[in-house]
Amino acid sequence: MATSKQNNSRRNVVEQSSKIILLLCALVSITAVVAITLYIVTQGIPFFSEVSVAEFFSLDWSPSSSIPSYGIGSFILASFEVVIIAIILALPIGLSTAIFLSEFAKGKLSKIIRNTIELLAGIPSIIYGLFGIAIVVPFVRNVFGGNGYSLLSASIILAIMILPTIINISEVSIRAVPDALRKASVAMGATKWQTIYKVVVPSAAQGIVTSIILALGRAIGETTAVLLVGGNAAVFAKYPTDMGRTLTMNIITDMSYAEGTHLSALFATAMLLFIFILLLNFIVVYISNKSNVGSGE
Amino acid sequence: MKKIFLTLIVAMISLTSVFAQGGAEDSSKVEVVNYTFGGSSTVAPIAKSVIPQFEKANPGVKLGYETLGSSTGIKQLLAGTLSLAGSSRDLKASELENNCVPTTIALDGLSVGINANVSISNLSMAQLKAIFTGEITNWSEVGGSDMRIEVIERDETSGTYGSFNEIVLGKGVEPTKNAIVAKENGEVATKIASTPGSIGYIGMAFNSIITNAGGKILSIDGVDPVPANVINKSYPISRALYVVTIGEPVEGTVEKDFIDYMLSDRGQAIVLECEFIPLN
Repeated sequence: MATSKQNNSRRNVVEQSSKIILLLCALVSITAVVAITLYIVTQGIPFFSEVSVAEFFSLDWSPSSSIPSYGIGSFILASFEVVIIAIILALPIGLSTAIFLSEFAKGKLSKIIRNTIELLAGIPSIIYGLFGIAIVVPFVRNVFGGNGYSLLSASIILAIMILPTIINISEVSIRAVPDALRKASVAMGATKWQTIYKVVVPSAAQGIVTSIILALGRAIGETTAVLLVGGNAAVFAKYPTDMGRTLTMNIITDMSYAEGTHLSALFATAMLLFIFILLLNFIVVYISNKSNVGSGE
Repeated sequence: MKKIFLTLIVAMISLTSVFAQGGAEDSSKVEVVNYTFGGSSTVAPIAKSVIPQFEKANPGVKLGYETLGSSTGIKQLLAGTLSLAGSSRDLKASELENNCVPTTIALDGLSVGINANVSISNLSMAQLKAIFTGEITNWSEVGGSDMRIEVIERDETSGTYGSFNEIVLGKGVEPTKNAIVAKENGEVATKIASTPGSIGYIGMAFNSIITNAGGKILSIDGVDPVPANVINKSYPISRALYVVTIGEPVEGTVEKDFIDYMLSDRGQAIVLECEFIPLN
């Protein structure tokens, strides 16, 4: 009896301490998020005691001119423009690939496609950027004129970068559509194609929307690749084929030696970017909470 | 939860004691003396890179460099707030009369590179200024073929951006905003080489990365951008960088040691790292 009690208490100690160690590890990520949030906010908020909110959202960014101006309006617009065009370019291709993989592809072919997509997701963004300078920029220059460094070039690069996100999540959610629905549809006399676009895709809509929003988050935060192909001119881009600068590009361009108000303007930019990412995350949580049918999670 | 807090506190205490020990060791050896230098923002990257090395070599000395601009730096030097000022311009007669002594620590020279398809080999300073303010936007206006000029700028916080705009455009003149902004010398070189009709600038120490990438280096006012022409002052986009003291630096002072360190091989290597031209 004595030894089994001892065993029990030792087991308890192991159980309890492993639980605590795991909890501590989990706390590391929470601490990181809280620390990052606090840091960005404390560095960014003082900016608004020196510069008005109206100026912050204006279109004139000239921090080192004799009368400095800290307007990031054109960068906000550029960020949205770039990610929206990227989604428009990537969604048809991504969704088609997801449908093909979940409904048609079998055996070796699907394995090759899947592995390639995984590889695509693992390529560092600097490589995307260099690819952009070598291929996408000359392409845009030859087709649309200008010097090729443009928001459109950035969108094309981003579209390729977010394909894996759209494909993977959409495919999972299409797969999660119960087979009974497909069978019922076919039994009603629908063709395979009719079944896909009238039954399967609508049932997986929530998962597909989730994939788009996660892709948006990935795209809006991307820095290096867009920096290399976007032109980075601190001007308002009238057309997608004009040069422009996104929020992330603005932060990284001036971060190295910026001082004083200029530096806190960059932190305020980061704060705004952070808010956008948070909003996107809330939307994802909201969608997946609303209903789990077809979301695949 | 209590247990977790306890663990965290123990961890913190043990960490602080480690740091405290490290600190105590340093301060027990020598008394810390603080010096504040300041002035030119062009000299700032050199000074700020030299300071940590200098402090390592001279324990007990704490240096700071405040980025104030050349004129403010010299004013504060005369007022006695600073004991050493960085300057990116020659001293005025009045400053020399007040016993300010400049010591050249580095040369600042910039080269202008163009894409290989632009058929010119020389620009005047006036043409260069007109291109970078956006007045001239076509190569035909400066003797080239009919092609749009694609201006490539550096990021606003880089010393190279500051130097180019001060020397070529003059104080208070804004460069065109309709320009590609590149963050690094390598990026400037790549974009010059790959963008037809492009023009950009780079620290003279990096001429080779433009030519290696496939771009061309221009002569300015007919003078080639080589260090020899900066030293004999014939190349226009150049200037000397100084540190200024009141009177000749006195042997045995921290100011003299600091200047000697900047002029040493080690210091001049840092000058090159900061994209300026070393003196030797």
